[in-house]
Amino acid sequence: MDRKVLIRKVIVYAVYILLLTSFQVTFPRAISFRGQIADLMFVFVVMTGYFFGFADGAVVGLITGLFRDYFAGPAFIGLDGKTARTVGIGMLVLFLAAAVSSSFFTRRMHRNLTFAFLATAACTLIYKISGHIIASLWTSATSSNSYGLSIGTIITDSILPQLMLNLIITVPMIFLLRFAGPYKKGVNPYLDKEEIGGNTWLTI
Amino acid sequence: MVALVSLLLLAVIVIGALPGSPLRKGLRSIGSVASPAQRGVKFVGNKASDFWAAVTDGMAIREENEELHDEIARLRYQLTQYEEAGIKYEELREAFHIRDTFSNYDIYGASVLSREADEWFAVVRIGLGTTDGVSMPEGDSFAVVDVETNLIGRVIELEENDSTVLPLLHEGFVVSGKVNEVNGIGVTVSGDAALKAEGLCLVTGISENEILEVGAEIVTSGDGGLFPQGIPIGVIESVDYSNPIAITATLRPYADISSLNDVFVMIPYSLIDEWEEEAEESDVPSSAEETEQG
Repeated sequence: MDRKVLIRKVIVYAVYILLLTSFQVTFPRAISFRGQIADLMFVFVVMTGYFFGFADGAVVGLITGLFRDYFAGPAFIGLDGKTARTVGIGMLVLFLAAAVSSSFFTRRMHRNLTFAFLATAACTLIYKISGHIIASLWTSATSSNSYGLSIGTIITDSILPQLMLNLIITVPMIFLLRFAGPYKKGVNPYLDKEEIGGNTWLTI
Repeated sequence: MVALVSLLLLAVIVIGALPGSPLRKGLRSIGSVASPAQRGVKFVGNKASDFWAAVTDGMAIREENEELHDEIARLRYQLTQYEEAGIKYEELREAFHIRDTFSNYDIYGASVLSREADEWFAVVRIGLGTTDGVSMPEGDSFAVVDVETNLIGRVIELEENDSTVLPLLHEGFVVSGKVNEVNGIGVTVSGDAALKAEGLCLVTGISENEILEVGAEIVTSGDGGLFPQGIPIGVIESVDYSNPIAITATLRPYADISSLNDVFVMIPYSLIDEWEEEAEESDVPSSAEETEQG
């Protein structure tokens, strides 16, 4: 890889990771609805994986996840009944999000723009549904209380608001990656030509 | 590749969950990069917010200013009365050996550094760390309150420059409480996944022989030893008597951490005395060594 390309890529990713992560944990209520927060980190990783491939998405996902763990690493009730903070869940979540998005119909749809929204929607749904399943199982294993959230509440107060917020912030995220992203012209030239399909997604 | 990395990350999660795990210390080093960037974003965001408020609130500020002038005059008069009352209270306190509610606790102020990232990544970081001269014994915890001493959460991790707070609404938060009256009934207040979105806590442990009334104020009971007795938590919003063997209620906390910029951590003087003794002990050998060397 060309040295200039590499330097630009590293700087752009570093700046975006720091800014988006910091913004989300400092002003979480700036973009929120029904108690849910627009997940800038998550959407950034999903879009990076979708547009620029698995390698970029995985690295960005792992680093962003590390920052997510540092700032707001989830605390869970352990088997000993004590609540403790965990390390690595953010990294795992964002790495898997990048892995899913980087293979989300990318060959068939050539990473085109419309499917970027579907990629965000699919990854958000997978994250929220699996998150609630794991949280529910963990709660019943470690606590005498039930999880308490009905399926209806999960859909109306958790999944749908989160889905809406993430889809909204996908728009600026696409512009960011397209016009001020890690690659000139918004395309990773090192991906298979078949996957980027003659830069079809550039037609914004 | 994906499976391998995922397995490695699962191992990281398991090892990281062990007490005293080196991975936690590794995560702290991220702070040297992440914290300055986040403080920068916070500074710029606050400045922009202040600027916007200055532009939009001009008329409202002028009206408020006039009202505040009147209020200052009224408060000055009140202050002189309270000063006299304060002197009398001090005299009586000494005469009757009355203890202040939290006289055994010192208060450390800290600013809120970062908040939750989503519904599961939901801890809060505050700017109080070991460099401020505090430490937290394993298994211990400190109460975090607002400026009116209302309970906000508890410190679960203390690092070099900051600490992690588990908010009152978090599912992992549990505290013993009681109705704020003489021989008030005891209850257990905890965070609940279903009530969190409405800003409410779950109240359990209500005896079937007792009546918990809507509007009753709940304060910490001091049972369990983590928190001092008498910290206001909130008021009972609803009570469900439908199941006599498991009566539950909802509580609306007084404090909302999402709207606060500064919080206060309550640390027992007994612990501070221990730190001072330890500091003195660690100073003694070093001064002895210096004498030998001299």
